Amino acid sequence: MAVQTFRLPDPGEGLVEADIVTWRVAIGDKININDILLEVETSKSVVELPSPFAGTVTGLLVNEGDTVEVGTPIITIDDDVTVNVDAGDGSDSAAEEAPAGESRVPNLVGYGVRTTQAKRRPRKPEPTDGAAAEAHDSVAAAFSTGAPVSRRADQREPLTPSPANVSTPSGGSVAPLPRPGPATKGPVLSSGGTLAKPPVRKLAKDLGVDLGSVSGTGTGGVITREDVERAAAREGAEPAPATAAAVSTAEAALPSAEPAATETRVPIKGVRKATAQAMVESAFTAPHVSVTTTCDMSATMALIERLRQRREFRDIKVSPLLVVAKAVLLALGRNPELNSAWDEVAGEMVIKHSVNLGIAAATPRGLIVPNIKGAESLTLDQLAQAINSVVATAREGKTQPAEMSGGTFTITNIGIFGIDAGTPILNPGESGILCIGQIARRPWVVGSGEGERIEPRWLATLTLSFDHRLADGEQGSTYLADVAGILTDPGLAMLY
Amino acid sequence: MTVLTMAKALNAGLRRALEADAKVVIAGEDVGKLGGVFRVTEGLQKDFGDHRVIDSPLAESGIVGTAIGMALRGYRPVCEIQFDGFVYPAFDQIVSQVARLHFRSLGQLKVPLVIRIPFGGGIGAVEHHSESPEAYFCHTAGLKVVACSNPVDAYWMIQQAVASDDPIIFFEPKRRYHEKSEVDESATPVALHSARIVRSGSDLTLIGYGPTVRTCLDAAEAAAQEGRDLEVIDLRSLSPLDTSVVLESAQRTGRVVTVHEAPVNVSLGAELAARITEQCFYSLEAPVLRVGGFDTPYPPSRVEDEYLPDLDRVLDMVDRSLAY
Amino acid sequence: MSDASGVSTEVELVQLLTPEGERVGHPQYSFDGDDDQIRDWYRDMVLTRRIDTEATALQRQGELGLWASCLGQEAAQIGSGRALQKQDFVFPTYREHGVAWCCGVDPIHLLALYRGVNLGAWDSAATHFHIYTIVIGAQTLHATGYAMGVERDGLVGTGDPDRDVAVVGYFGDGATSQGDVNEAFIFASSYNAPIVFFCQNNQWAISEPIERQSRIPLYRRASGFGFPGVRVDGNDVLAVQAVTTAALERARSGNGPSFIEAYTYRMGAHTTSDDPTKYRLADELEHWRLKDPIQRVRAYLSRTGAGQDDFFGAVDAEAADYAADLRRRCLTLPEPHLLDLFDHVYAEQTPDLAEEKGRYAEYLESFDDSIPEAVEGHPQAEPAYGGIA
Repeated sequence: MAVQTFRLPDPGEGLVEADIVTWRVAIGDKININDILLEVETSKSVVELPSPFAGTVTGLLVNEGDTVEVGTPIITIDDDVTVNVDAGDGSDSAAEEAPAGESRVPNLVGYGVRTTQAKRRPRKPEPTDGAAAEAHDSVAAAFSTGAPVSRRADQREPLTPSPANVSTPSGGSVAPLPRPGPATKGPVLSSGGTLAKPPVRKLAKDLGVDLGSVSGTGTGGVITREDVERAAAREGAEPAPATAAAVSTAEAALPSAEPAATETRVPIKGVRKATAQAMVESAFTAPHVSVTTTCDMSATMALIERLRQRREFRDIKVSPLLVVAKAVLLALGRNPELNSAWDEVAGEMVIKHSVNLGIAAATPRGLIVPNIKGAESLTLDQLAQAINSVVATAREGKTQPAEMSGGTFTITNIGIFGIDAGTPILNPGESGILCIGQIARRPWVVGSGEGERIEPRWLATLTLSFDHRLADGEQGSTYLADVAGILTDPGLAMLY
Repeated sequence: MTVLTMAKALNAGLRRALEADAKVVIAGEDVGKLGGVFRVTEGLQKDFGDHRVIDSPLAESGIVGTAIGMALRGYRPVCEIQFDGFVYPAFDQIVSQVARLHFRSLGQLKVPLVIRIPFGGGIGAVEHHSESPEAYFCHTAGLKVVACSNPVDAYWMIQQAVASDDPIIFFEPKRRYHEKSEVDESATPVALHSARIVRSGSDLTLIGYGPTVRTCLDAAEAAAQEGRDLEVIDLRSLSPLDTSVVLESAQRTGRVVTVHEAPVNVSLGAELAARITEQCFYSLEAPVLRVGGFDTPYPPSRVEDEYLPDLDRVLDMVDRSLAY
Repeated sequence: MSDASGVSTEVELVQLLTPEGERVGHPQYSFDGDDDQIRDWYRDMVLTRRIDTEATALQRQGELGLWASCLGQEAAQIGSGRALQKQDFVFPTYREHGVAWCCGVDPIHLLALYRGVNLGAWDSAATHFHIYTIVIGAQTLHATGYAMGVERDGLVGTGDPDRDVAVVGYFGDGATSQGDVNEAFIFASSYNAPIVFFCQNNQWAISEPIERQSRIPLYRRASGFGFPGVRVDGNDVLAVQAVTTAALERARSGNGPSFIEAYTYRMGAHTTSDDPTKYRLADELEHWRLKDPIQRVRAYLSRTGAGQDDFFGAVDAEAADYAADLRRRCLTLPEPHLLDLFDHVYAEQTPDLAEEKGRYAEYLESFDDSIPEAVEGHPQAEPAYGGIA
């Protein structure tokens, strides 16, 4: 003897609720299966509901006039026979309750759509052996090195297949039709290429890291972002544009040669590789012309002393490089061809309105040229701070790729090595580079006429290389003369 | 070895099929006495009789629907839909019945039916004769879809399709019907649902099928002169896709360009792009790029050469891929 | 008077047993059996109706998602079904539960379809009763093609009526408007296929009356396609059997297709989701109730003494028992598992589908069903709501 509950079902008229119209049975009535229990009214019509149970009515759970949702218990019936509806043949669901809060919206042709599922089903914890880590595992499986090489890669199938040894049937019988054949599903092999997702590949390109030399720590040997950054730091992060104006004395230590060896081989990678690439590109693209002048920097040196006394520069290191930079910037304003670029594809000379001033810095990793964006609009103290900052950052190896790109003009200081002049190579994409040599005490002719004499002065040699496509000898020379003029007489800056 | 056009190769393959299995029948408009508007079934009714090579009334749904009935009775019908643009009246029978009977019956009923459809453009035709509707059928579970690109494949694939116990939509590139090749009728064919590398390369993979395989090969030739080494894959089987060949190539070259006449939107190229990106993500140097018809209905024939992917459009996309 | 096509409006209706249960003659057709057969067919119809009623109730109790009732059409289905030879083949729509009965299809399979356990999975090869086709009229082309195949098997017109095969394609009045049905007529006619087109004109296609489908009586359509058509009283099991036997003979012997319009009435709704009170009048139902197919046979048997109370009582009892057992079997139908269905898409499985199945299996495995809350949201745990708690 079990009490069964009948819930309001969907009688198939697209209803989610119904009004109880008339009970056709009363408590205590003995009923058979399919006897009509009640009438319900949907939004469309009146429907009679037959009983799924036989037995005695023990409870009418809703009243006539009530509006009841589908799934609501409406009647209890004590079936005098134990109706065994469970899994004799393996059926599960017939005996389970309809989950509360989850119902199907009925429609014309079936049960209707389920309306709610607001909670996630709990998942098993991921096994530690990683077997269930789907995304990673599918990658790992895809790139497993234990997989045999697919025959497809090596098959160079001509459109006409080569004759095979097929015995032709004798007599008049025809060979059976060729079957479609097995579906070719081999494991996807690892072909030895590098594995890295697109953003990581781009990072590697930007940092000049050769992915082939990086070992990946990701699942399946995939090279991660961190792997690339580590490789860049280890080998020397390198900017795409780099100048070879200065000989880098601070290169990574060479591997020690064996005593009996006649040569030592250093792999070309990292900074050196990118530098080489950039130099080749620049040298063989832009026609380089160099012009040189020697100028008397004494007034500049005096200016520097005065600047150091000033309040604005109390905490800022002031060096000759600052004044040279300022002179460079001022002169570019008057000679914009030296701050331009050659756009072969568009057939245009691109004159930049702003100066992104590159400062070549020798660092333990090698030569790095960060640039100061919009340097022409900085005040002198801002410029000083910017120069100090980029150089310090470069020495720490923390220069970001963005800081190394977009330069328009570069200054390189070889004077720190005790050298006077050089033939600097342009940063690719730039039209001029100024090389300043050591500022040293040297004899100089001063005065005129009767007062003409030789005095020790602060002298420095300035060398300008420029792209002869963008500027002629006159323009280059004029520019260099302007720079030298300001350095000789800083007061001339007033004219700019 | 015989030199055959694709149309003649299909004819020979169908003849072989009719000879090998008495249950094979051919049905379609004008396939009997006329031998088909492209002569693919020429001579077959004369030799096998009109009970096996059946001239049909002008009713595509009827052709496919009755073919289903014959298949249920144990026959292996090969229907011809005269032109790609005329398959649509049969679409319901194909997707609601052909594709589903095996599944509906829990595997008890088989529909070993082949529906041959000349497809693609480039023949100067009027409207509805240059369509590429393959995506609709690839998208339908329960169907298999193949496309031959050359006479050798045509000869073998049609036989294999007939021998398959599954329903096969068999696309034939009509503008290649008259291209010739040597066909060795004693060779062992490649599996039907295999893709094939028809030109090995290392810089980039071109994937085409049907009429665009030739286009891809031509593009690869031109690219070789520019110092680029392109690999060309003939997909052959559109559903199921032979991902093993495609993915191996994508991994190796790291760059893929798909080429078909159908518009790229929601196309086979789109499906290939999704799969290759998912499976080869860590090997890709560039996103998978797609070349196809524009997203307009097929244009009038005077401008169809502009619409259809050609060597320049393919190489333009190759350039884009290599620029990454 | 002439109809729209200019033909005389006198409509034939072959009848051999009146609604009152009286045997009448017909110049062309006759019932050649005996009272044993009539008693058998009475039982067939009662059981068919009882099964149909039970299925309707089960749907109202939430055990079936849907049911398409054949109430009122028992004679059309038993009469034609019992005319079949065992070698014949049937292509039904989705309402031929009486014909399924005649072909030996266990009704539990029909319930399984409407319950959503499968899409129609009885053994059609063994029972010669094709699985139900939901798309209206599509099966008429399959039937025609099947008939074309039969012909190619050499099983038409051999002169051996126990060997020659005929095919019956069932469809309703609404279906005659579908292109596929008309194409089937064309193909059958063009190829002289051994097929009987059996149309149960139950007057309604959901809410569209026959007048919306056709301006002329449906049986007259056949002549337009080049084969004979006949209208039979669809509620007269004797007439239906006679007419169908003749049509099958015609097909079997190689004389090609014919069209039978069984003029009957859909006493129930189109399906359990339909509300016919919206579009038809109660007095129409009453009109047809007077023509009930089972009542007239019972009247005949009673009046002639061929059937007594004990016979009727026994049939009713058998029907009740059968229905109760069917109910029990319905409630214990096993639940389908989606994973199993991946294997049935193709005769030759594809690697991608096998892989997809594998991934889905892993996904299912990833849920921790030891936690009670997991069961609630489990699609497999969801029963029909309402009903048995």
